[in-house]
Parts: sequence; C-alpha cells; structure tokens
Amino acid sequence: MSSSGIVVGPNVRRICMAVAALGLSALGAGLALSPTRGFSSLLINGFFFLTLALGGAVFLALNSVANAGWYTVFKRIPEAFASYVPVGAASLLVVLAGLPSLYLWARPGVMETDHLLHQKAAFLNAPGFALRMAVMLAIWAFFTWRLRRNSLAQDSDASPHPTQRNVATSAVFLVLFSITFCLASFDWLMSLEPHWFSTIYGLYNIAGMLASSVAAITLAVVLMKGSGRMKEINTSHLHDLGKLMFGFATLWAYLWFSQFLLIWYSNIPEETVYFIHRMHGGWAPLFYLNLALNWAVPFVLLLPKPAKRNPFHLCVVAGIMLAGRWLDLHLMISPANMPEYTGVGVWDAAGLLGLGALFVLTVTRTMGSVPLIARHDPYLVESLHHHT
Amino acid sequence: MSPSQSVLLSYFDSEEHVLDATRAVREAGYAVHDVYTPYAIHGMDEAMGLKPSRLTWVCFGAGVLGATSALSLQYYTSVVSWPLNVGGKPFNSFPAFIPVAFELTVLFAGLFTVAAFLLRSKSFPGSKREALPRVTDDRFVLALRADESDAKVKALLARHGALEVEQMEVAS
Repeated sequence: MSSSGIVVGPNVRRICMAVAALGLSALGAGLALSPTRGFSSLLINGFFFLTLALGGAVFLALNSVANAGWYTVFKRIPEAFASYVPVGAASLLVVLAGLPSLYLWARPGVMETDHLLHQKAAFLNAPGFALRMAVMLAIWAFFTWRLRRNSLAQDSDASPHPTQRNVATSAVFLVLFSITFCLASFDWLMSLEPHWFSTIYGLYNIAGMLASSVAAITLAVVLMKGSGRMKEINTSHLHDLGKLMFGFATLWAYLWFSQFLLIWYSNIPEETVYFIHRMHGGWAPLFYLNLALNWAVPFVLLLPKPAKRNPFHLCVVAGIMLAGRWLDLHLMISPANMPEYTGVGVWDAAGLLGLGALFVLTVTRTMGSVPLIARHDPYLVESLHHHT
Repeated sequence: MSPSQSVLLSYFDSEEHVLDATRAVREAGYAVHDVYTPYAIHGMDEAMGLKPSRLTWVCFGAGVLGATSALSLQYYTSVVSWPLNVGGKPFNSFPAFIPVAFELTVLFAGLFTVAAFLLRSKSFPGSKREALPRVTDDRFVLALRADESDAKVKALLARHGALEVEQMEVAS
C-alpha cells in the first residue's frame, strides 16, 4: 500500500507558488485598473475552480449514498479537490467588492428607472446577494469538512461506522447542494443579465460542474497512476471514469439544447436577448466551439470501448472538456458586460493561472498530508478488485 | 440436416469453478466451443479468449442510419414536399429537427442491436434451439471441442469441479 508522502516535488511547489503569486497580483491589478474585465475574470476563474472542488465533493456524496465501492481506491483525489472549497469560497467573496462592475442591478439609479428590474428588487439587491452567497458558501464548506473528517476517521477505525455516517451526511448534502447550487448559478451568473431568465439554468450548470469535475478527477487519477504513486488503480477504474465523462458530457449537451430549443422556438425578445449577442458577431465562433469542445468532440472520442481504457487518450479528452467548461463559463459571464467580443484578455489569463496554481497547491498539499489509500474503508477490497 | 459437430459438455455449480476450468482447458490447448451461464460472468470474455464484440458496430451503424433517416424525412416533408410557415421560422429549421433525430437514433440503435443479437445467436422467436437443462437457473456449462474418450480432459475437468460430463451433437 502507498504511504503518506509528498505528491509533488519541492521545485514544482515553488513554481506553483510563483505562478500563484504572479497571477493573483496581476488579477488584483486587473480588479483596480479594469474593473469590468478584472471582475469578469475573477468570476469565471473563481467559479471554475470552486465548481471543480464542489464537483469532487458531489462525486464522493453520490457514490456514498449509492453505497458504491469502486471509487474507494482513488477517493483521496476527489477529497483533495473538495479541500479547495474554503479557498474557492474566499475567492468568490472578493466578487462582493465589485458588484456594480459586474451586475447591472447593483448600479445606482438602475432599479428605480427600469420597470422590469424594479419588480425584482426584493431579490436582486446587494445585502441579499451577499447574505445568500455567505450562507451558501458556508454550507458547502461545512459539508465538505464533515465528509473529509468522517473519511479520515475511518483510517484509524476498524469498524465501518465513519463510512456509514458519511452516507447520512452525503444525503443531506446532496439535497442542500442541489438547491443552493441552482440558486448560486441564478444569483452569480444568470443575474449578470437581469432581464433574462431561464429556469433550466441551474441544472445546466450542475451538468457542467459534473462533466468538468469528473474530467479533472480522471486527469488526476491518470497522473497519479502514471507516476506510480497509486499503482492500485486499474483499467476498470479508468473505464468507469471514461463512461462518466461520456455520460456527463452528453447530459450537458442535453440540457444546453433543452435551454436553447425552447428559447429559439418561442422566439420571445426578453428570452432571445441572451442568445442574440452570443450567436452573432465576434462571440459566434466561440458559441459553436463551445458545443464542439463540451460535447461533439468528447462524444466521438469516447465512443469506442478501448478509448475509455487508454490513459493517454482519457487525458486528452479530459483536457478538451476542461477547456470547454472554461469557455462555457466565459460565454456565460463575459458577454453580459462586453456584448462586442474583445478577445480573451490578459486579466482572464492572470485569473486562470493565479487561481489554477492556488488550486493545484491546495489539492497536492491535502493529498500529501494523509495516506493515499483509505485504510479500513469497508469498500477498499471491493475497489481493489474492481472489474467491469 | 444441418452439419453438426460433437462437443463435450461439462456442468459446474459455481461461476468460480467454470471460470477456472475455462482458463485451465485453454492453457492445456483445448478449443472452447462456448460457455453457457445463467448470467454474465466478469472475466469470462478474457478466459474464453473472445474477440471484441462486433455488435457495437451494428449499434453505431444503426444509430447513424436513424439520425440520417430522421433528418432526411423531416427535411423532405417540411422543405420539399409540403412546406408550411410555422411561426415565421425557416422551412429548414435544423434545431426543430434534433429531438426527432435523437429519438430515432436511440430507437434504431436499440432495436437493431437486439435484432442483430437474436439473429446471430439464432434465439429469435420460433427458433428450434433448446437450452441445456438448468443453464438458465443454477448450472454453468463449458462446451469443448473434444472427445469423451480423451481421459486427460475428463480428469482436468473433474479437477476443476465438473459435476458431470457428457458428449453431445450440436448444430455447428
């Protein structure tokens, strides 16, 4: 069995720290110099990495309530992802400092003069927004901490009780999470264009979260297996992760199309406004690229059985899906304040590199702090012999 | 009369035994005719040395056929044969065609795969094929292209837990 140890070398950590420091200070400069673009970048990248972390927690919770045993051998990886939730939460709280730069409804004088928005004032106001954000982030941080604590308690407990406790914790978390995450995507992303609304938007974001986090987990699993630190991971684990990537990419496409078709068909101006400036002009190529990266390309590449069992192939598809998820968020967030396409800017790159390096640092630090194999987990033996 | 061949059937009472026996007889150089079990057994494909199933290609082809027939039928009816103005939309409204294309892709892929499987295994309704006794219940049967008079193979099968061994003529 693998023992506790450093997951990445000190040089890699030093480079990550330098990139994080450089990226985050550049992003900080962006917030001050070019608030609209800077805060857009913070929201895109902050939300991107926070949802990867939350996706790790949801992956654990889903498997836990299903009494699934196949994932136990690599469950420290989604757990390490979930440990980024408090850090990601902190990055999202910074958005509160720039509400008027991002949200039309937070700008002075808008709510009083715009009749449609005036009707929504009871919901769209800065104190309510901040309160909801704080409560939701606190709920997520609390439950990810509980899941992790029970899981680590199992390491030093030969009875299966900590794992059983996690089933109850996971069930409560999943119910609260699905409500709060829908609300969060309504609040943080959909209200960027406050006249527009789509009831499926929350579900659509959950699908994006699941697809991207399973892709990221697969990437980490392949890296850990490839570097020889988790030799217990076998081809069947990869095959199942590949199936989940395939399935969630298709779920994303299904929900994307469900949202698009109804708006396109009914053709009501207050709904079509969202797609008009994304499907025409400079945003249009990215609009179609989004569908290719998130669904068409992964669907074709993951269709054959051998493709889902090949580590290198899985890494390539996971990379495509992660790029697709970032582009999807870019397309949800940036056009709200920049209807004319202005390109992926230096602030976007700064946010991606800074928060990305912070994510890698947090995840690898958590992984290195405990044994990589969950000892005493009642499902460990089943997982070691997993065969599809 | 269809050409028949002689196979040696050995009955087992657990999946571990039939799996071990299958591996052992192949290592000893005997040709496996087939293995009949009440349910799918993990690792049996590798133990029997089966090639990847060609059924996936039937499924893929049928899916492509379903998608193209749905799209071409909708294009023909709403653009060529009887164009109707629906809410001012273009006659060739691709997004509106997708739900039907999706349904027909899934339907064709599913039905054709099942049909191809039943035809290939000759277990369609009306087929004269009979199941071996208890093989749909609690017995596992390994069928070898071997002869009962071969004492070595009988000993090998017995060592791996065969309850009973018999010779049978089957349609090849």
